[in-house]
Amino acid sequence: MRKYREIIRIYLKAQLAWRADALFNMLFVLAKIMFAYLLWGIIYDNRSEVAGFTFQGMLSYYLLSAFLSQIEMSKCISEEMTARIRNGTFSKYMVVPVNVQGYFMAMEMGKILFYIGFDVIAVLIWKCLFRIQFTFTKSIMVALCAVIIILLGMIFMAQLNYYLGILTLKYQEIGTFLMIKNNLAALVTGSLVPLALFPDAVLKIMKFLPFYYVVYLPSMLLSGKCEGEAVSGIVTLIIWCVIMEAVLSITWKCYSKKYEGVGI
Amino acid sequence: MNVIETKDLTKTYKRFKKKEGLRGSLEGLWKREYEEKTAVSHMDLEIAKGEFVGLIGPNGAGKTTLIKMLTGIIAPTSGSIDVLGFYPNDLKNKFKEQYAVVMGQKSQLFFELTVNDTLRLFKEIYGISEQVYQKNKEFYTELFDVKGLMDVQVRTLSLGERMKMELIVALLHNPQILFLDEPTIGLDAIAAKQMRRFLKEVNEEKGTTILLTSHYMEDIKSLCERSIVINHGAKIYDGNTQELFHKYQRNKKLTVSFEKPVDDFEMPEGAVILEESPMKKVFRINLETVNATMHDIMRYEPIDITIEEDEIGTVVERIYQEGSVKHA
Repeated sequence: MRKYREIIRIYLKAQLAWRADALFNMLFVLAKIMFAYLLWGIIYDNRSEVAGFTFQGMLSYYLLSAFLSQIEMSKCISEEMTARIRNGTFSKYMVVPVNVQGYFMAMEMGKILFYIGFDVIAVLIWKCLFRIQFTFTKSIMVALCAVIIILLGMIFMAQLNYYLGILTLKYQEIGTFLMIKNNLAALVTGSLVPLALFPDAVLKIMKFLPFYYVVYLPSMLLSGKCEGEAVSGIVTLIIWCVIMEAVLSITWKCYSKKYEGVGI
Repeated sequence: MNVIETKDLTKTYKRFKKKEGLRGSLEGLWKREYEEKTAVSHMDLEIAKGEFVGLIGPNGAGKTTLIKMLTGIIAPTSGSIDVLGFYPNDLKNKFKEQYAVVMGQKSQLFFELTVNDTLRLFKEIYGISEQVYQKNKEFYTELFDVKGLMDVQVRTLSLGERMKMELIVALLHNPQILFLDEPTIGLDAIAAKQMRRFLKEVNEEKGTTILLTSHYMEDIKSLCERSIVINHGAKIYDGNTQELFHKYQRNKKLTVSFEKPVDDFEMPEGAVILEESPMKKVFRINLETVNATMHDIMRYEPIDITIEEDEIGTVVERIYQEGSVKHA
């Protein structure tokens, strides 16, 4: 584990070298919440509730989901892998005695640890500026479940992006696919709008998929909603993580042989 | 004891053959033609512990592909391969702990951090004890004379300094085998000379087996007792380096410049003219006539004379033409 801890540390240190990037990340969170404030302000102008959310409840959801979607940085895994495989420098991870998947997950963790502080600051600024009253769950168990779901969701997204990165070994260029995936993920995880706004039938289907549990459910749990889904959320995500790990193992075995290290 | 053994090692790439023009690109969307290219062909290789072996060949000869197979980066198409008792492409950590690879144009360093940061990472990755880490770091920073650069951001280092750092990172865990792919590429003459001195010392002091690919004759000549020449993926020479150059490097290229135009210049007997103007003469002569030619040229009072050896491509071509395959 020491080697992965050091990988986390080095990526954390690497992020610290770029101050402007951190500032822009924080500004992005601020802009995202600002946009939500303006948009929902117009929608709530002539109504007091939308899909069970009051205006304050909706803003609370946005603060939480903006924070969670911002610290969910797994897309950096697929982007890094794709770029490295295409330019032939992916071999740098293959020649050192580490598990490649573990290396990329530790890399993501290092980046998250850096940005998490800035994102907390961004959320607090908005909370104070707009006097948003957070409605937190009163149950410690539910809050604990939400934290576990957040961690499992991040693991699943890291696995998914690692899988997409591996696909570059076969398909060479998957840039457009990654862009579509990023936009779809923003929609189906509930980062853009709460999934409660979707029709019931769609929501029922989404509960079988892992994306429901990455941003939406933990945001709802923390704000005191959907508490009955806490345990089933953990179980569903564990099942998805196990399935994904098996898929990863098989795919890596098949496709790692296809790597030609072109560009070296 | 052999640390590297290959038998009939072959690597064939399949590459997309695109037709010319926009129409060809559009056709390629639904119908693709592929061609096979054999990068390494039926290669038999044995390298003993502690050897310093040079791998020579022109561009596209298959040198880098061979290194990539030996380090496990790519899988061979056929044949057997054994490096330190492992099949490299299994990518076992136990195997990866015992070798290091430095590729001139690829880096293991973190450009935004210091070398010390990267070394600390590699200490943990290779599970090096603090005592060994400090000892090796001390040894290599002194050998490479880079003590003052360890806390400097890597991206601010010169190419020569960066290459030294790449080597320190690679050697930190005392690898049994060091694979070097064009380590002096892009370096100036002084930095390349320093690099050669360091590599020689590492090989002698630590007993590290080194397999070096280079385009530069000087690298191979001054470092490797044994050379392997490959062309079109096949081995065409495997033997003593001095013997190789003695036998196949037969010419020198002379470039002579004058201050004033020289119209009565007599070309030495047997010289092949490569470029000629009143102020400059470039020609190729036989190695044995160099001294006599130099003596003759002096009467024209030249301002500059440069002497270059036959390039690797020429040597390879000569071996190939004469069909003299020697095995160690």
